[in-house]
Amino acid sequence: MKNLLKMTVAVVIGAQLGLSGALAQNQELDVKALLKRIEELEQKVKVQDRKRELGDEAAAEKARTASTVSIGPGGLQVQSADSNFVMRVRGGLQADGRFFASDSVANDTFLMRRVRPILEGTVFGKFDYRLMADFASGVTQTTANNGSILDAYINARLLPGFQIQAGKFKEPVGLERLQSWRNLLFVERGFPTQLVPNRDTGVMLHGGFWNNALYYQAGVFNGTADGGSSDFDANDGDKDFAGRLFVQPFKQTGVEALRGLGFGVAGTIGDHAGTPRTYVSDGAQRFFTYLTGTGVQPNVVGNGNTWRVTPQGYYYWGPFGVSGEYVISSQELRQAGGGAGAGSRAKFENIAWQVAGSYFLTGENNSFEPVSPRKSFNLANGDWGAWEITGRVGALDVDNAAFPIFANPAQSATRASSWGVGVNWHLNRNVKLQFNYVNTDFEGGDANPAISQPEHLFLTRAQFAF
Amino acid sequence: MKLKNILISTTAVFLAVNALDATAKEIKLLNVSYDPTRELYQDYNTAFAKYWKDKSGDTVKIEQSHGGSGKQARAVIDGLEADVVTLALAYDVDAIAEKARLLPADWQKRLPNNSSPYTSTIVFLVRKGNPKGIKDWDDLVKPGIGIIPANPKTSGAARWTYLAAWGNALKKNGGDQAKAREFVAKFYKNVPVFDTGARGATTTFVQRGIGDVLVGWENEAILSLAESGKGEFEIVWPAFSILAEPPVTVVDKNAKRHGTEAVAKAYLEYLYTPEGQEIAAKRHYRPRNAEVAKKYAAEFPKLELFTIDEVFGGWQKAQKTHFSDGGVYDQIQQANR
Repeated sequence: MKNLLKMTVAVVIGAQLGLSGALAQNQELDVKALLKRIEELEQKVKVQDRKRELGDEAAAEKARTASTVSIGPGGLQVQSADSNFVMRVRGGLQADGRFFASDSVANDTFLMRRVRPILEGTVFGKFDYRLMADFASGVTQTTANNGSILDAYINARLLPGFQIQAGKFKEPVGLERLQSWRNLLFVERGFPTQLVPNRDTGVMLHGGFWNNALYYQAGVFNGTADGGSSDFDANDGDKDFAGRLFVQPFKQTGVEALRGLGFGVAGTIGDHAGTPRTYVSDGAQRFFTYLTGTGVQPNVVGNGNTWRVTPQGYYYWGPFGVSGEYVISSQELRQAGGGAGAGSRAKFENIAWQVAGSYFLTGENNSFEPVSPRKSFNLANGDWGAWEITGRVGALDVDNAAFPIFANPAQSATRASSWGVGVNWHLNRNVKLQFNYVNTDFEGGDANPAISQPEHLFLTRAQFAF
Repeated sequence: MKLKNILISTTAVFLAVNALDATAKEIKLLNVSYDPTRELYQDYNTAFAKYWKDKSGDTVKIEQSHGGSGKQARAVIDGLEADVVTLALAYDVDAIAEKARLLPADWQKRLPNNSSPYTSTIVFLVRKGNPKGIKDWDDLVKPGIGIIPANPKTSGAARWTYLAAWGNALKKNGGDQAKAREFVAKFYKNVPVFDTGARGATTTFVQRGIGDVLVGWENEAILSLAESGKGEFEIVWPAFSILAEPPVTVVDKNAKRHGTEAVAKAYLEYLYTPEGQEIAAKRHYRPRNAEVAKKYAAEFPKLELFTIDEVFGGWQKAQKTHFSDGGVYDQIQQANR
């Protein structure tokens, strides 16, 4: 019995020992399997994280290299990721009203003064291009000028101070002519603009230094009559040289009151043939015309050297701004037709000047460049946009020697002088309303009903430009 | 004023301005390269700039651009103005010649050794102690092995890897293409994640701790070993692998437009000089120069290496068969999904 008991205890202990050994072995296997499983799961999590990371990198790369399309007050723009290629679609229109308060042979009228689509941009980072057409009322074509194509040029920005522009664009002469059409103080530009070239075809070197505190422009162009445009030299093979130097001496300084001061001088020189231009009032009434006709009738044409010189300047300080320019346009003419003075040659100097100023009642900083209202017009919020009052005086004086061989004193005035006031309401960066009253007095041309009495004119404009 | 006089004056001013500009010009070169050559060309550019300054007196500033080799070639075709390209494989340069016509088709004949101044091969980087016991290609396709290569569609290293795996399987199976395909299919079945370039794959394996083995450039494996500290990784050189010959060339039309033809040519020729070869060897590329190779022999074990021409009939054929859209690689990936 004792032995049986011992044997039983031994068997039980032995069995227990064996069981616990097996258990330990099993536990070790479980831990290994568990660790392996954990490792596998850890790898899976890491792989998922990495895939997400790679996905994010790919998305960021795509965003970095993708072109962007944006639209805003500056128009529609498409731009490559590296900014080297840009295309902008812009444009604008001006719907005017022209109403004569005095008796006039001209009709009161609404008109589309400008309707201009613009495509512009940059290729390869340094080459700008611009195409601007005009489909407005009265845009006509001549033998020398496709009136619908206003700007068509490329500009190579080789260095900030050394750029080359070629094509058709504004000649660098008149101050107000060089101001953008969307930023004019008055509905119509003043008299000096009539004595300087408009757009011409040629090539120009230009560039600025010290953030354009000093800016130069010098170019060779076909040459065009006063106020005229050209994209083909229909009259002669001679070319005009045009140049302009403009400085803003305090632009880079801390003298706040003088930073908006700029002045310069511009001019052209060249030989011209062809028909000289007529001069018109703000109401588009011709007040001076050189004699023109066929056969035995007198006919005046360009006959050689033409030069223009125009000192110009502006000053902007806070909401106040004033600008002025003075133009002398000298041209050799010939009475090439029949009748009195046939074959006569003479050189005339016509002069125009103007001073124009404005003040923003709503406090915006005035500028030669477009001004953005502090607050866009929003009736619900009580925001009224920007309000600007304007004033201008000026005159155009035709050389008295032009009469009577080259111009008819009964039909053409020897001088027109005007003053005007206006209000500009900038509803936002894109929409502007203008209201002008302009009074123009004429000297001479008494037999011409258009100018035999002063012109009292109301001009209105609704402008949309982007 | 007569146009002739104006033109003469204008030309004189233009030439004067250009002359002033020319004296102040700094020579710039853009080297568009593949992923893992960053460190190599950082060192090399410094050495070349000094060499060129001493030789010509001019200052040359070399900019680098890196990414997957195929992606970089695409960028040059799309307009990235590389003066020189130093890519992972000849096919990518061929693509630039063929699609953008920026250099002649026979560009590879212009410099020695098929315009490949240094070589490399495909090796394995495994974790400390080689826990999965990976010794050769066959070990990679065992179940449960996580392989990290890059994507052959975008990476040069990945295409060399694919071809190395295929070539190894062919050798083991007496040239049986079907068995080679089966082997490569198993290989890619074990890949948990694809990076677009070799450097990205290294990041996945080394920094993110994913996978059991990084299969890629020998130079990248040695660099990882050197940078990660002792003992974290080990390199396994397979008995048989591919001779990778990364090519270099001037992108003629770009260089001509930039006026950098002479300096671009000299830049690549300098790679073949003992100085250039020494820099390549220091950055773990196998030098061509016998003397320099002898000096660095300890770093580069002797392997049995096959060339792409021997096994695949050249890059054009290999690309068309294996890596073109709908090619063998795409078919394998489709089947593996």
